[in-house]
Amino acid sequence: MESIVFGIGITALTGALATVAGAAEDTESNIGSQGDPNSQVQLAPQMGYVHRIFNKAVAGEPPAYALWCTLGAGVAWAFMAMQINPVLAIVLGCIVATFVQGVYATTAYLGRTASLAKFGQPVYIDILKSMTTVTMAHAFIAIFATVTVCHLINSALGHPFPLPLLGLVWGLALGAAGSATGNPYYGKERQYQNQKFGAGVPIAASGNIVRYAEAGERNSLDNGYFTQKFGGAASGICFGLIVFLELWRTVIFEKVGAGWGAIIVGILMILVFTIADRFIEVWARRNYGPYTKPVEEGSS
Amino acid sequence: MTAVAAKPQVGSMFNPVAMVVGTILFLILLGVMYFLGSTPAFITLIGIVIGGVLIGFGVHFVPVGGAPAAMGQAPGIATGVAMLAAGGGLAGLFGGAWAAEQGIVMATITGAIGGGLMMAITCMMVNVVYVYGMGIPAASGKVKNDPITGDSQAEYKSQGTEGHGLPFISFVGGVVGGLFAGAGGTLIYMELLDLYKGSLPTLLGASEAQILPIAVTLAGIFAIGMFLVNAVLTAYNITGTIEGPHDPKFKRWPRSIVASAAASALCGLVAILIVIMN
Amino acid sequence: MTVKVEVIEGGVPHDKIMIAGLVSSLVCIYLTYVNVLTQTEMFSFFGGIAAVAALIWGSNTIKVLCSYGIGTGVPSAGMMAFGSGVIAMLFATKFGILAPIVALILAAIIGAVLGYLANNVLNMKIPTMIRSLTEMSIVGALSLMGFAALTCGGFTFADLTTNVISIFGIALPSYQATFIAGGAIAVAFLLGAIAIQHPFNACLGPGWTQDRMLTLTAECGFISMVVCAIMSFALISVSSAVISLIVALIGWVFTYHQYFVLSKRDAAAWLDAKPIPDVEGH
Repeated sequence: MESIVFGIGITALTGALATVAGAAEDTESNIGSQGDPNSQVQLAPQMGYVHRIFNKAVAGEPPAYALWCTLGAGVAWAFMAMQINPVLAIVLGCIVATFVQGVYATTAYLGRTASLAKFGQPVYIDILKSMTTVTMAHAFIAIFATVTVCHLINSALGHPFPLPLLGLVWGLALGAAGSATGNPYYGKERQYQNQKFGAGVPIAASGNIVRYAEAGERNSLDNGYFTQKFGGAASGICFGLIVFLELWRTVIFEKVGAGWGAIIVGILMILVFTIADRFIEVWARRNYGPYTKPVEEGSS
Repeated sequence: MTAVAAKPQVGSMFNPVAMVVGTILFLILLGVMYFLGSTPAFITLIGIVIGGVLIGFGVHFVPVGGAPAAMGQAPGIATGVAMLAAGGGLAGLFGGAWAAEQGIVMATITGAIGGGLMMAITCMMVNVVYVYGMGIPAASGKVKNDPITGDSQAEYKSQGTEGHGLPFISFVGGVVGGLFAGAGGTLIYMELLDLYKGSLPTLLGASEAQILPIAVTLAGIFAIGMFLVNAVLTAYNITGTIEGPHDPKFKRWPRSIVASAAASALCGLVAILIVIMN
Repeated sequence: MTVKVEVIEGGVPHDKIMIAGLVSSLVCIYLTYVNVLTQTEMFSFFGGIAAVAALIWGSNTIKVLCSYGIGTGVPSAGMMAFGSGVIAMLFATKFGILAPIVALILAAIIGAVLGYLANNVLNMKIPTMIRSLTEMSIVGALSLMGFAALTCGGFTFADLTTNVISIFGIALPSYQATFIAGGAIAVAFLLGAIAIQHPFNACLGPGWTQDRMLTLTAECGFISMVVCAIMSFALISVSSAVISLIVALIGWVFTYHQYFVLSKRDAAAWLDAKPIPDVEGH
């Protein structure tokens, strides 16, 4: 009984940490403009729309975050193998990981912008100086929370994988969850804020991202505030749910029914989310209504 | 991207000669394993091949829209397909590795549920963002009516786009893809783990408890490596984006079965020979 | 149907880079074998240099492959390279001093098979697919072997899986705190997978120049070397790890500074806190 209570406590802690990690990850990737929405930041100068947005093209979020978290976990493991206190080891590991992340961010911005010289897009050194530290700060929060989750899973809950391998698994999952949830919000709502709300961006408007905004020229730092209003929270909830539910069903139900307990609970959870998704979809159709009249049979 | 070069237009979808060559290659690799190793090693290789094919096939179900999806111009999730599938599959592998003591069948099913759960949560949150954050309903651009629910799609598609969000068939596709990918990754991991736990003690001259960390990491890194290879092969097969099982591109799956089988057989053979050969 | 061709041109031919990268990488990996001959661990840093050389070759291969528009993006190619390379590298470590050669041959076989499957079975029909995937697989195997040699002092299976730790002054063999069992191989795997694709991905665009991309590869390789050198403090003697760290830091600072210089040379303008310039009235 006691071990289950301990397990639930650790699970709750990891769920909370994972939520923070998800929110910080999405904020960081939107301040740096990473992932699929970055294609618009790349495209804009080619269509004549020169901008002052940070163009951080470091792979996509899943492999990039897999690297930072594995790196942090690996260096933390090395320090722990040298008998350094685990908390200090994790902090030092995450500092190294954040440093590497900052270096990659700067080289990506310089590389992509220098290669757009033909279209007159200048390299703004002040953007490099101001954005890099902010994106590193958010990345540190995300990496630290994820590496702590991995350490808790490894040492407190007894998962067989070593720390760096757990860092790979959860870093990749963090990037995938944060990217899937946060990218459309940043891409459509922020980059194309001047398009009509409530519809996708028409293909003809590609490249025409918002460059002049609330107070002067749009700056990637503003995207951080914007992200936290919805996208960051949604990504945090997404990753937090993933980590929490995965651990919760295993810790409580693993011993029930020789393992079948956890499986049945998992299937039930999938069904719950399917029903919730269907509800959301039907709610949208009923409340928003169609864009045009339904196409009748026989007409094009 | 402006760095695009000319590529000859593909005529038919399948290349029969290459499919036959791929199948023959797969059978040759199986034969090599049969003669070089014992029957348990052969069964391990069969398990690895099944795992690889599950991954390759499962990734076809995952709805990925790429860069246009990030702007509400195409349905699907706005991430790279190999990486999204890897995220789901590895979350499944995590759960499956935890259930390793309960036997290979239980671990594989647990892994499948883990992957499916991760994809279910992610797909639901994607729709939450589209509906409640952006005010955009889900609509597919490839079919007139959703194959499962029968909802009409055309009038819910905003003007100038190919669709947006995750219609129900795409959601189901995502979950099924997560199930298969999680199962496949866990199967590869379990087969290799059993083999390494059995052979590494004699190879290194140590007790099983001592070499267990090596066996776990070796099996884990092989599983991840083969997962990525199979996922990227599938990404090549669907050329980057797919709406889900209802997408016409889904019909390309036989090519992926042959490619995944041969690739997994080769990689699995090498992974097994590490402990068999001396 | 005619399609406009716009392949990025210029720079040193790929074959020269391939031969230079292959030879220097193999030579540097073998230089770490001096560790065994001299019974020290001081020459481990050559492993990092081998990885840098292999990565430089690999990034040019990715440029050649991805210039054809494979449709999935650049990071997948890096994952493919290291996914196939790690399997070849781990098998090759069993062969003692012949390990790098075996890794080369086996990675070439795996890469060629994967290339054939991708190009013909999956009908991608890209001219350089088979050759590029073969090269990338070799690069993956060699850079992983370089990182392994850097981190634990050797490239044989015994080096990667055993470590001598001292408890209360008695030296005991341990399997737990090693390159493989500790999971450091996962770190090397991802370091290489991101480092091989980042240079082409980051320098993508009409203004691509080869020397800037290859300088960026060297910089990525050296920062990966810094991380592996930090991890090596747990596995090899402190003095050897300090040597590796110093070599890596010097290499990184130099290439990072060079990269800034080249970016300044290539950029349209190098502005500090200036507004958006007027371009064609937009």
